[in-house]
Amino acid sequence: MGDTKKPDKDSGNPPPRPLNPKQQSRRDFLEGAGTTAVVATAVPVLGISAANAQQANAVSGPTTSIRLTVNGVSHSVDVEDRWTLVELLRDQLDLTGTKIGCDRGECGACTVLMNGTPVYSCSQLAVWVDGAEITTVEGLAQNGQLSTVQQAFVDNNGPQCGFCTPGQLMTATALLNNTRSPSSDEVRSALVGNLCRCSNYNAIVEAVVSAGEKQGGAA
Amino acid sequence: MSEASFSGLEPLNIVGNATARVDAVERVTGEAKYSRDIKLPGMLYGQVLRSPHPHARVRSIDIAEASRLPGVRAIITSENAQIVWGAGSISGGRQYNDPTKEITLHRRYIFNNPVRFVGDSVAAVAAVDRHTAEAALALIKVDYEELPFVLEPEAALADGAPAIWPEGNLCPDFRNNFEPMVSDIGDVEAGFAEADQVFEERYETGFIHNAQMEPRSALAHWQADKLTLYTPSQGISNCRHDTARDLGLEDHQVRIVCNYMGGGFGNKNQNQDADLVAATLARVAAAPVMLEYSRRDDWLGVHGRWPTVQYYKIGAMNDGTVTAMQMRGYSGMGPYRKNSGGISGMDVYGCPNRLRTIFPVYTNRTTSGNFRAPSEPHGFWGIESMMDEVAYKLGVDPVEFALKNMRRPTDDRPFTNYSLDEVITTGAEQFDWASRRRATPGSDAGPLKRGSGFSFMMFRAGVGTSSAIVRVDSRQNYTLFVGVTDIGPGAKTTMGMIAAEELGVPLSQLEVVSGDTDRCPYSVGESGSRTTIQTGYAVVQAAKELKQQIAAQGMPSGSEVLIASATPVPNTDGKTRQCFGAHFVEVEVDTRIGTTRILKYTTVHESGRIINPTTARDQIRGATIQGIGQALHEDLLYDPASGQPLTTGYYRARHLTHLDIPDIEVTFIEVDDGYGPFGAKTAGEAGIILAPAAMANAIANAIGKRMTSLPISRDKILEALA
Repeated sequence: MGDTKKPDKDSGNPPPRPLNPKQQSRRDFLEGAGTTAVVATAVPVLGISAANAQQANAVSGPTTSIRLTVNGVSHSVDVEDRWTLVELLRDQLDLTGTKIGCDRGECGACTVLMNGTPVYSCSQLAVWVDGAEITTVEGLAQNGQLSTVQQAFVDNNGPQCGFCTPGQLMTATALLNNTRSPSSDEVRSALVGNLCRCSNYNAIVEAVVSAGEKQGGAA
Repeated sequence: MSEASFSGLEPLNIVGNATARVDAVERVTGEAKYSRDIKLPGMLYGQVLRSPHPHARVRSIDIAEASRLPGVRAIITSENAQIVWGAGSISGGRQYNDPTKEITLHRRYIFNNPVRFVGDSVAAVAAVDRHTAEAALALIKVDYEELPFVLEPEAALADGAPAIWPEGNLCPDFRNNFEPMVSDIGDVEAGFAEADQVFEERYETGFIHNAQMEPRSALAHWQADKLTLYTPSQGISNCRHDTARDLGLEDHQVRIVCNYMGGGFGNKNQNQDADLVAATLARVAAAPVMLEYSRRDDWLGVHGRWPTVQYYKIGAMNDGTVTAMQMRGYSGMGPYRKNSGGISGMDVYGCPNRLRTIFPVYTNRTTSGNFRAPSEPHGFWGIESMMDEVAYKLGVDPVEFALKNMRRPTDDRPFTNYSLDEVITTGAEQFDWASRRRATPGSDAGPLKRGSGFSFMMFRAGVGTSSAIVRVDSRQNYTLFVGVTDIGPGAKTTMGMIAAEELGVPLSQLEVVSGDTDRCPYSVGESGSRTTIQTGYAVVQAAKELKQQIAAQGMPSGSEVLIASATPVPNTDGKTRQCFGAHFVEVEVDTRIGTTRILKYTTVHESGRIINPTTARDQIRGATIQGIGQALHEDLLYDPASGQPLTTGYYRARHLTHLDIPDIEVTFIEVDDGYGPFGAKTAGEAGIILAPAAMANAIANAIGKRMTSLPISRDKILEALA
């Protein structure tokens, strides 16, 4: 796995892109996704009194305002300090393509690109990504056109159950950005942090190698 | 692209041609919605509290402080929510037998008291977000009275062992009798008397989790008295039926939706306790509840392949003829009998005298569940390790030994077809067995020792009932409705290919609707390698029926549609139907540090006609790699002093990564025996059955020592060589 440190704002990361019309406030997200809308129904039985339920609606830990770019779209978000990056992506930005397999840095299903580097988004706090540029599996296809490696996964049966596939694709994308036509050994080394319990490893490596052959050229 | 090789049949128009998955684009763009990706307005998040003790009585549960935490909306515990999880414990492990589920003696509830393993559920919380739910769990105070515990199956049957159930620790059979499972053929004592030599050995196998990438979860949504569950299920039909029974509902009051799921390998069949807990929390909180199991929850709530101890005794003549086979086995089921505890493998030999006795035993480890070929890989490893050892001791080539002793069709037990000779000899030739095998095991000089091993099998490919519906509209758009869930092998695509083939239309002209009990007819469930054979055959029959309608009435016009359905009940005319396989592997063991490296891995399978060569190839490759993991690494270890599980995750159980994987060569010998859809047979479980045995035999051939404990980890190899 690549560098998983907190990004340093002074380290030459690209500045956040200008805010575009799609910029949303946190309130807009919540209303749009409806994720934490609360039903006012009283809880009649088994434990919680209705009075408790009524006063239990607004719950939040300490928050921090951050700005980040996800798949080319800028966002300003108030994030709870306990949220991980994958929670921010899935729960708040509704980008559910990124999967949670272990939530503790073992499996790689949650891999996204942070400033071009693959990271486990379960092991990054959301507050750490302030100013960062994030790419998720939803950002790979451009104008409805699959990326080379996505198409190679389609053609080579890269996914079986498909749950590890977004993470495999993100790490492979980073590899292919740096190594135009990797060997199968280079692919295995790069993808070692992405487990596949269907154990479709042979097909995944074949897909990434063939994507490299298709894009060709020197890095 | 590494293609599998095929021989025996020509491709049909669609069937037999390499075909990309019909939902491949959704799977590579993040569009595919798995259960946890679904959001409903007002949805709450659920979490489960689990026992930290291997065996304890719950004296009391104090939820007062947790209830006061802002955002908590429901708390249920073993004190106020007593719901039997019918599929969680069944006498005899008979998951597909409703009457047995009714009479089962030892029940698993969604919350249990006493708790009987580390991870047994005690309570659950629903709150406005997952962090609040987690915080609430920490505020629930449970007063436990710790009880003695036992972890090993043989120890659990010993006098004075802690009794996990009042009647003791031997699991009852499907009639609630406390008897082991016995298969007694011929006269084993006469067979031993006849033998020139008798060989005995004890083998033991590890406790292996399915470890599917998507942990269990369930989103429950009540609308009046109807429950919708978005849940990763390997069988939406049996999940609906089980859930309805457990909650006191009619089947039609439950809808199961599962369009995508992140693997299962056997442990997401039937309903899950997560389904029942989520449904109960949602009813109490009067809001939809998403219950999310953590990786550790998933690892401990129900585990996978049961650990076993296997005692073999084999009688043989000096010419290599086996005269008697005996096995006494113990399977650790955890404190609930979720599945059978079977130990298979002896049946692939033709020896007329065979006695097998298996004791399924309760222990205070977590529950054993089904894992891909539930009874086979550990059993085939045991018997084929034993037979490999016998062959070398008699000075016989193990391949010759297999060809001499394997089961063959007989006049009173005919097969639909039999290709095991061809499978084995093809594999031996492709692998170059004669030159890769060390005639004297362990004979390589130096610290890096090479050796080759072989294993063979036959495995059920029986036919059975399932349903399908096909519809065509006036624009000649076809829709296939099948109750399958595509857990990874590609059932949506396979079913579509079978329908398109029979209908004589391109696959692009056909839409496959699946994964929703309100839209699809009964399907058998993605287990037992049955989907292609059973539901695929129903698809063929429904398509034939539709073709007859079209022939009789012509194509529909305007807003008309034609619809055909089929629920065939096929049989094999009294013949045994099996798939066949053989694996050959060469390894190199570094005897200084105990590591095993794979140099060449050759697989040959006869799985009837192959519907989709691409996905069939990757069923074999993936299953083989899982079996290699079972051979070398995976085991849920327990601390004997505390009863705590130690290896509850991918990293700790040391699952194989990209860097561990050899190229798996795949050859299919194709046969159409006239049964199943276009002659298709079992493929999904075939690969995993053979890998542990082939690996173990190769390691023995390399180092000259027989390893009798799975996994064959570095420390065990070094100990054997010390």
